[in-house]
Amino acid sequence: MNVSSAAVRACGLVKTHGQGQSRVRAVDQVDLEVPQGQMLAVMGPSGCGKSTLLHLLGGLERPTDGEVWVAGRRIDTLSERALARMRRRSVGFIFQAFHLVEELSAAENVELPALLAGRSRRQARRRASLLLERVGLADRAWHLPSQLSGGQRQRVAVARALVNEPLVVLADEPTGNLDTTATLEALRIFEELRTAGQTLVIVTHDERVAATADRLVSMRDGMFVDDARLAGSPTRGLGGLIGLEG
Amino acid sequence: MGFIVLIARLVLAGVRRHKVQAAVLLLAVTVATATLALGLPLRGVSDALYEQTRAATAGPDVVALSGDTGPAVTSALASLANEPEVIAHHGPYRIVYADLTTRDSTSSPVVVQGFGETPGAVNRPLLTSGQWVRSGGTVLERGFATALGVSVGDRVTIAGRPYPVVGIAVTAATSIYPWAAQIGPGGGPSDYSGLAWMTRSDARALASSQDLPVALALDVKLRDPATAQAFLDAHRVSTLMVNFHTWQFTAEQDMVILRDTQPILVVGSWLLSFLAITGVAALAAGRTVEQTRRAGLLKAVGAAPGLIATVLLTEYLALALAGDALGLVIARLIAPAIASPTASRIGDAAGPGGATVATATVLAVAVAVLSTLRPTLRAMRTATVTALSATAHQPRHRPWLTALSALLPTPLLLGLRLTARRPGRAVLQACSTATTVIAIVALLTLYAQPERGYGLDGSSALPNLRGEHDRRLMLTVTILLIALAVVNTITLTWTTAMEARANMAIARTLGATPGQIAAGLSTAQLLPSLPGAIIGVPMGIGLLSLFAARNSAEPPSSWLLGAALATLLATAALTALPARLAARRPVAQTLSAETA
Repeated sequence: MNVSSAAVRACGLVKTHGQGQSRVRAVDQVDLEVPQGQMLAVMGPSGCGKSTLLHLLGGLERPTDGEVWVAGRRIDTLSERALARMRRRSVGFIFQAFHLVEELSAAENVELPALLAGRSRRQARRRASLLLERVGLADRAWHLPSQLSGGQRQRVAVARALVNEPLVVLADEPTGNLDTTATLEALRIFEELRTAGQTLVIVTHDERVAATADRLVSMRDGMFVDDARLAGSPTRGLGGLIGLEG
Repeated sequence: MGFIVLIARLVLAGVRRHKVQAAVLLLAVTVATATLALGLPLRGVSDALYEQTRAATAGPDVVALSGDTGPAVTSALASLANEPEVIAHHGPYRIVYADLTTRDSTSSPVVVQGFGETPGAVNRPLLTSGQWVRSGGTVLERGFATALGVSVGDRVTIAGRPYPVVGIAVTAATSIYPWAAQIGPGGGPSDYSGLAWMTRSDARALASSQDLPVALALDVKLRDPATAQAFLDAHRVSTLMVNFHTWQFTAEQDMVILRDTQPILVVGSWLLSFLAITGVAALAAGRTVEQTRRAGLLKAVGAAPGLIATVLLTEYLALALAGDALGLVIARLIAPAIASPTASRIGDAAGPGGATVATATVLAVAVAVLSTLRPTLRAMRTATVTALSATAHQPRHRPWLTALSALLPTPLLLGLRLTARRPGRAVLQACSTATTVIAIVALLTLYAQPERGYGLDGSSALPNLRGEHDRRLMLTVTILLIALAVVNTITLTWTTAMEARANMAIARTLGATPGQIAAGLSTAQLLPSLPGAIIGVPMGIGLLSLFAARNSAEPPSSWLLGAALATLLATAALTALPARLAARRPVAQTLSAETA
């Protein structure tokens, strides 16, 4: 696969934390290419470097060594300002803890990235309404995050991540704080995104989530220890496939 | 005993953990109480200095003056000296109205008193340097000599005749420089004048050489100084132009130079206290979550609400009382310089009286309690389990403001939403700015006043000491206010940034640049500063109108507008650094910390 067709690419990626004897290699010589439209799941035990890898791919942290490319552009050498602009256009984040702005309603949370990207209020509001309808929260648009369930909050976070039509969505343990029903809701949305050709990188330690991906990478001690293409067809009988339906 | 030791240890630990906050509280309370302790007893200090000068110079109880020098006046003054209430007298002596010029051509009106070469029983000027009058030499009053920059050995010209300055002295028989001429030529109004002494024969020769105006004076000492006013009433002669000045009147006249000093200091101390409260309240609000958790921890190990309140309040009270003590000491040390801007009086001011100490202490305690009561009550009232897991108070949802901000560019959008998160803090910032602008308006108004110098014909070669004194004091108070406002602005920006760090990190992940975050944080301070600066101008003018003379001039509008704009620009500059620092915090780290 050539560089231009990859939505995200990393070469020899290294990230160390601490100094001296307490120095830890959170990500150690990772090479990765995620083609456009692929749903990639990254699995591994806690502390193996999954979240750090995601932060590096989204430009939230800078690598100690190696290169990161997003949409054919090297981003590890960009200024903070350029990185922010890149995130606006090309990257959507979904976090385990949702990270919604608590004093803003669901619709206001979703429209925020569009406003930051310079869209008019009307455009941002229209796009937010569309996405909230898509994630099944049209009737909760004016609820505050504290008035929503965990699953609903995560759906707001998904809508927010998609509002600027990013090239890639990076999801960090998106079902980590959800119960079974909410997890199923989230998985259905991810499946819809995958079907729509949205590039997704999901960090998880939940095998049920990983099973919905096109490709599964396993990490241990900051390194990739396995890279497998998944053959299942998650578009049909998703709940049954992942054991969420009786 | 164990209880007290426990409180002391907890308080010390709290102070050690928050050194910057402790320093701000100490500084704020020190300047506020020092200013108040200087302003309140000003009259007492002035009176004390007059009393000490009077005691050291055998100051008269009554001075009788007449612009007429005929035999009838001489006879009337001589008969006064023979009254039964009079136990001693000095004079009658000549007062000659002339001009004095120094070697560097500074000229001033002067009244020359003709005295004996041997001091009398009453009105014995105290030499502070040199020697007493001798033929051909002159002694200058110390306040006058200081203003002229003349010392013993210099030569001055009086009415065109050269005289060496043989001594410098002080007296309580006249008001302080420049009000030495207690009546003008012919008994008319007097101009700003200095005081000089010569021998009687030199004064006579001086007067006759150029036919200078002359007045006569008699100093008397009464059996009972408290009856000076009654003596004056009993001996007023309607047919003769004789003016009487009692020692109480002279003491009162000393306060003329301090007419605006007391309002500057007392109102200044109110404003300083207000800024102290806003600054410490902002710091305390930033610690609310930590205080609540600390209270929860104490409750969990069995502490009663009383102990918790004591621990939380004692930290602030102890610092406030330390600041109070420091402020009182500073006030004690600089009180004579403030109360006696001329060098016409000698002596030392006694320490602040009981009322001043009590008022300053009440002020210090009020600053501590008002700024910390709310977080302390919250910490006390929160249930133990809730307190242990306390999080920052959740801001309210404001749909109209969110909708309005959505129409604005990103920095304004972020700034407006940040302002709306903590409206109380926005009010503090607005008040802080308004207070600063009030002080600047007062300072500009003082500089806008036309004033007559103490030199010849109102020349400013000898500056108007009262105006200079007022401006110097106002400048000092304004600098202190600005310093506190600077600390407040930086504190408010930093606490806003720290409380909003999670939201700002989220905004960064959504594409906001560090520059936009920093601009948003600055805007969050500037938005409330704008109404503060606008309101501060009329408030400053209104406050001044309570104390200023009716005919006082107002500063040009361009000055006031410039002051408001400069304050806003300074606020923007001051918020830039903490905002930039906060905006550069690593996003991933911040989000991880929030999740933990």
